[in-house]
Amino acid sequence: MLSASEPNPMDALIRKLGSIATFSAEERQAIERLPVNVRMLHPRQDIVRDGSKPSQCCLLLSGWACRYKLLRDGRRQILSFHIPGDIPDLQSLQIPTMDHSVATLTEAKVAFISHESLRGLTECFPGIGEVLTRCVLLDAATFREWMVGMGRRDAFEAIAHLLCELYLKLQAVGLAENYRFSLPFTQTDLGDALGLSYVHVNRVLQEMRGKSLITLRCHILEITGWDELLRIAEFDATYLHLEQRAAG
Amino acid sequence: MTLHLQPMHVGTGSYDIERHLVFADGYLVAVLVQLCAYHEENASEWSLEAGFGPVDDPNPPIFDDLDEARSWIERRLDLVS
Repeated sequence: MLSASEPNPMDALIRKLGSIATFSAEERQAIERLPVNVRMLHPRQDIVRDGSKPSQCCLLLSGWACRYKLLRDGRRQILSFHIPGDIPDLQSLQIPTMDHSVATLTEAKVAFISHESLRGLTECFPGIGEVLTRCVLLDAATFREWMVGMGRRDAFEAIAHLLCELYLKLQAVGLAENYRFSLPFTQTDLGDALGLSYVHVNRVLQEMRGKSLITLRCHILEITGWDELLRIAEFDATYLHLEQRAAG
Repeated sequence: MTLHLQPMHVGTGSYDIERHLVFADGYLVAVLVQLCAYHEENASEWSLEAGFGPVDDPNPPIFDDLDEARSWIERRLDLVS
């Protein structure tokens, strides 16, 4: 049993879902009552592997995770970054075999929720099922933006776009404000996400610092030129569909 | 096959100024750049800025020195010769 002072692990999910939809008190309670198995994971630990057939989904409670694909010689493409409240393998509820891996980037707290429990929840509360479907569709919208970034934006624009995206996603779940947020992963991770070399990422970040667009100290990134960064990235937040402020 | 390195400066706006054009039998096959102090643990090492034909690589490697870069480029070119 959870004590009154201990936060419910499902708060992270409610905050995330609350940033894109509204819930009734009954729906909220049903989410809070979901049975979960909470675990602390090391940085760079696989949560679910490409080719596996998971029987549970992972809800990220703290830390950062990513989805990725590995080529035979070890080259890695990061497909998406994930923050608390995300369920990066939600698709496994409908598509049995994983076509990519999910791993932590930092130390992370993860709640595993069985497919059975999630199916039961969505059967009893179809509205929650619709919101979970919406999450998958929003992921697809983000993939489309990343595709534009890798195919057509130059390195400066692509990094600017990603920084704007990460800030707004973190802000929506109450994990960033005043244009500051924790960016605890490496420049190699950024490069693997954007199809850029570590050298190129480093060079662009130096250039952004030189133009007073960002500061980056001890893994805390501050966007000091938000409007200019938006302009450079041609950033249009429509694809994030953050129609609600963070709940709770 | 003979590699010839020609030092040059490129105005990319970055602090990585020291570069070499690499020619193989007169054909441009690569551009190497020496990394400045901003690259911290990789400072003063050499990065493949651009590679052409078989020297192109989506994950450009970083070399300790020009000899290592030269060997890598030669290996790449040998694979297709």
